Amino acid sequence: MMIRLMTELIILVLVVGTALAFDFTNGFHDTGNAMATSIATGALRPKVAVALSGVLNLVGAFLSVEVAKTVAKVVKIQYTKDVKDAAGKVIHHAGEPLPFFNAAGGHHLLITIVFAGLVGGIIWNLATWLLGLPSSSSHALFGGLIGAAVAGLGFSSGVDWTLVLSSIVIPAILSPIVALIIAAVGTWLVFRITNRTPEKAREKGFRWGQIGSASLVSLAHGTGDAQKTMGVIFLALVAHGSLDESGDIPIWVKISCAVAIALGTYIGGWRVIRTLGKGLVEISSPQGMAAESASAAVILTSSHLGLALSTTHVATGSILGTGVGKKSAKVRWNVAGRMAAGWLITLPIAAIVGAICWYIADLLKGPADGLIGILVVFAILVVVASMIYLKSRKAPVHADNVNAEWDDSAVAPQSDPTADRTSASV
Amino acid sequence: MSTILTSISPIWKVLLVGLVLGAGLPALFAFGIRASAGTVGPDGTTAAPEPAGRAIAAVSFVVVALVVVAAIVVLASTKAFLAKFGLS
Repeated sequence: MMIRLMTELIILVLVVGTALAFDFTNGFHDTGNAMATSIATGALRPKVAVALSGVLNLVGAFLSVEVAKTVAKVVKIQYTKDVKDAAGKVIHHAGEPLPFFNAAGGHHLLITIVFAGLVGGIIWNLATWLLGLPSSSSHALFGGLIGAAVAGLGFSSGVDWTLVLSSIVIPAILSPIVALIIAAVGTWLVFRITNRTPEKAREKGFRWGQIGSASLVSLAHGTGDAQKTMGVIFLALVAHGSLDESGDIPIWVKISCAVAIALGTYIGGWRVIRTLGKGLVEISSPQGMAAESASAAVILTSSHLGLALSTTHVATGSILGTGVGKKSAKVRWNVAGRMAAGWLITLPIAAIVGAICWYIADLLKGPADGLIGILVVFAILVVVASMIYLKSRKAPVHADNVNAEWDDSAVAPQSDPTADRTSASV
Repeated sequence: MSTILTSISPIWKVLLVGLVLGAGLPALFAFGIRASAGTVGPDGTTAAPEPAGRAIAAVSFVVVALVVVAAIVVLASTKAFLAKFGLS
């Protein structure tokens, strides 16, 4: 009995830790969405930009009044809304695990799906970060969970595929296009209006607008993305049995998720920032403001309408739009194409990794309530993460070289001034 | 098919609101910059801004800031929160 309680607690701690690790990668993978343009135009010094973004993510994480207890509606592991009986009494709360949970081994099944899904999401986030590819952290998490749910529950009983199409795939195709159109119109208007304004005054004035609009994007990111991890941890606590599904999300969960995403943001995913800020379009500050305003408007409006759009897809579309909207701007469509390819495979690859992790954890379930399987998958995560980190050291991108001239052959600048660099590089 | 159409329809609202706020506000901001910064003539010389320019600029910046704050309040608050202040 004691041993069983211990193993359950160890598993819970591992899952919560992995969820926070995902939240952290979510932060540094997405810093560029808000701050890449401000860093590229020099509106903010790189370190100041990531610090500002980190703080705003922290504020944003607390700003949202309602915290969603449903992690991903596409995965059939939870009730997505309150279910009432004939008398109008709530018999199932939104966020409550589905009935498979109460069958023999259901608790462990649920927690293994969540864990394997998180590992799939983290590995994809780290791999794309190494390549400097901005890709959606939400898609990585959804993909991981989808793969794990297919492996654990079955193809159609684990995943709502119509919902995958309508709430993930279609918005992913449309949102960058919408953001691109808005940013292109904004850029065209801004240059049209200020065409007789002295260059210097224009560049300087728009830096302020750029900082304001980038701050809005950071805030919006915190309100949206930190919540997903809060939902994951809530689910893990329910699966463990230490929390009732009708209960509130504990305050320590909110605080730790907010801090994890803020820290991740502050670390600054310089590789992704560089691709977004320098790789797509050479950006001036009016374009930067147009891009960030378009991103902020699209993200905030869609979240208000209950559409879950990826910040990354929107931000990338906006930055491309500022290139389209300015006559003389050069857009590197080859870089954009690489990103689009990355987006296409994000969900399937994260799903495959999630499924593999679930099979490994299940195969090595062992006698001690599945602890061995979870530990092995955790070890795999640590090894893969370390390998990716070591590989990134060979061609580091950091605050001091993030704005170096773009070279199509690699993410990191070729002539790297590592000798005299002062700041840590991530 | 209908599920798919239903999922696409809100995107039009996002596009419309996005054009008004996401492209409109930077344009308004641009008017402010233009009013306060003077103009470059065809011969390359810079003319000083008109006296009313600073006032026009201030008004446009304030309007941009107010719209942003209002938008945050609307978006970040639940209906219950707004109801406290008699808004819906």
